[in-house]
Amino acid sequence: MSSALSRAVERYGAFRDEWYALPALVAASLIILAAMPFLRQLALFGVAPLGWLSLNMLIVTLVWATTAQAWNIMSGYTGQFSFGHAAFFGLGAYATIILTSTFAISPWIGMLLGSTLAGLYGLLIGALTFRYDLEGHYFALATLAFAELLRYVFTNVPQLGGASGFFRPLAREYADGPGLAAFQFTGDLPYYYLILGFLTVVTAVSLAINRSQLGYYLFAIREREQAAAAIGVPTYRYKLLAVAVSAFFTAWPGAFWAMYFNTIRPSTVFELLVNVEILLPAIVGGIGTVLGPIVGAFVVIPVGEFVRQSFSIPGLNNAVYGVILIAIVLYSPKGVVSWPSRFVELLRSRTDLLDDDGA
Amino acid sequence: MRSSFLSDACCREAPAVALGGVSGAPAGPADALGGLAALAGTFDALGTHAVLGLSLPSPTIFAQYFVFAVLLGGIYGLVALGLTMIFGVMDVINFAHGALMVVAMYAVLVFSDATGLSPFFAIPFAVVLLFVLGVVVYRSTIAPIIDAPQENQLIVTFGVLLILVSGVEMVFGSDPQQLGLDLGSLNIAGVFVPQGQLYALVIALVALAGTWLFLQRTMLGRAIRGTADNRDGAQYVGIDVPRIDALTFGIGAALAGLAGGVIPLFQSFTPALGDQYLINAFVVVVLGGLGSFPGAFVGGLIIGFIQVFGSAYLGGSTYQIVIFMAFILVLLVKPEGLLGGSADE
Repeated sequence: MSSALSRAVERYGAFRDEWYALPALVAASLIILAAMPFLRQLALFGVAPLGWLSLNMLIVTLVWATTAQAWNIMSGYTGQFSFGHAAFFGLGAYATIILTSTFAISPWIGMLLGSTLAGLYGLLIGALTFRYDLEGHYFALATLAFAELLRYVFTNVPQLGGASGFFRPLAREYADGPGLAAFQFTGDLPYYYLILGFLTVVTAVSLAINRSQLGYYLFAIREREQAAAAIGVPTYRYKLLAVAVSAFFTAWPGAFWAMYFNTIRPSTVFELLVNVEILLPAIVGGIGTVLGPIVGAFVVIPVGEFVRQSFSIPGLNNAVYGVILIAIVLYSPKGVVSWPSRFVELLRSRTDLLDDDGA
Repeated sequence: MRSSFLSDACCREAPAVALGGVSGAPAGPADALGGLAALAGTFDALGTHAVLGLSLPSPTIFAQYFVFAVLLGGIYGLVALGLTMIFGVMDVINFAHGALMVVAMYAVLVFSDATGLSPFFAIPFAVVLLFVLGVVVYRSTIAPIIDAPQENQLIVTFGVLLILVSGVEMVFGSDPQQLGLDLGSLNIAGVFVPQGQLYALVIALVALAGTWLFLQRTMLGRAIRGTADNRDGAQYVGIDVPRIDALTFGIGAALAGLAGGVIPLFQSFTPALGDQYLINAFVVVVLGGLGSFPGAFVGGLIIGFIQVFGSAYLGGSTYQIVIFMAFILVLLVKPEGLLGGSADE
């Protein structure tokens, strides 16, 4: 048994070092996700092991996986720790709903406008904070301040919905009825594949950046910015680019949020906790990795949602998030995606030890 | 009469929030923070002129706002005190600070319900409890990663926030609670001074003086200041830095306990109240300068004035926009704070 195991481990170890390992794993995860709505109904001996995963939970999970994937480009790759991504999420949500409900314009245009606005807001934040060399705590607090600022702007300007926010209009009020063009569907399944599509796009962008020269520039900035600047990386420009791309894509799940749930309010999309939910999957899964946000979202969100929906104890899901956050940062700061490699190293050192004993 | 009006207003607002009411859940801070909106409301009820737009207020109303601003500023200063201490000595942003305050609020509630004594006796209990809790939190979560990147500590303290606030919510629910105190208010030449907030201000000033004396006049205080100045240097001269960190975090938490303990004297509270104080306390800490005690009170007064005059003249929670803009401006231009350079005070 142990030889079969060690052979499998060896094979994984070899596979892991191949150039195609990451794209293959990403593709495999996305295919599993595409099959998920059916997998969850699959019954073995009359028991569905994934039966507790409702479609709604899966959708929420993918929303936060997408935000985390976008957050990761700025904070994971470039090392600029943002604690205010709710700003971009909320801009996406609000632009979409305002155009749709006030002007009866297609939500898709709203989403595009919202993500452009988010990108511009990201550029503004970046231009100010990078110019003035804010780092560490100060940078995190500044991003949080920019997000909270928007929350109060939207709360206090009646034209922007005020504290009560917006109701999602009926599809026939601005389109021919439910459908892809209207960004509204009658069942949950199309929503699932739509957000999976968003996740696929953002993941593809993240993978492309990860493998490109741009990615190496960003990693260099993360590891040691002064050294990167010294060898000629225009750090200011690339940090701005990372913020803008990250903000742009964070607005997409925001737009989705606005069209999936019935209402949005400043207290739901700009809330302090949203800043955390956005980055939580990336932290848990593994900061700066392509798979981390997806894996992390599936570790954290279904557990939290399950706890929230099955026990009528308000706050329990947040406590679960808190415990997971602390446990991950204390015991495995590289995240869940590092576990297979750690397992391989562990087994390898074990077998080496055994070989030495035999010799 | 005044305080019953205040609590009424708070109770009417909060359930709407708790139920996730779609219809205009009002921005919390205006009501929650000292019930100032409610107090401003009493003005109209009393028949004094409503202050609208640009009309100049009568001196009495102006004096009234001034008093409210000073009282609120003192409370903000007290809230920021523990935060600025942990920030200054350990370079950790303690996101759990507001949650620690919430624990203290409910500790005061439980203690005075259980013993039937005045809440003033419950406050020292809350302070001691929070000191112990702070040391436990430090030992279990912060100490192992004190040398890790700053973001890790931020995330961990946020995890502590989630656990503490959710714990309180699970035990006590999210409905607003209150002590049912009726401290009344003083009337000085037509200007009302709510006594609950007055006591809170006095306690805040005593805490400031006490902590300052402790830091300046005792060996331990000197060790803490030394650690704040230079952690490595402190280690070299024989200061047990991990022990100082634990002590600092404990004192910071105890100050959060004090701040949380006085809040029930003048307003009703929910588990979410901590977050609202926390965000503005960050602003206060940065405005005043990292680790600066007098700065915490100067910053607190600035925020108090912006909030009171802002909610009177701008309406709603627009003052919060002003606060964040001031915050961002200071972060960019003078991140060491308005009283910058006095980090070892």
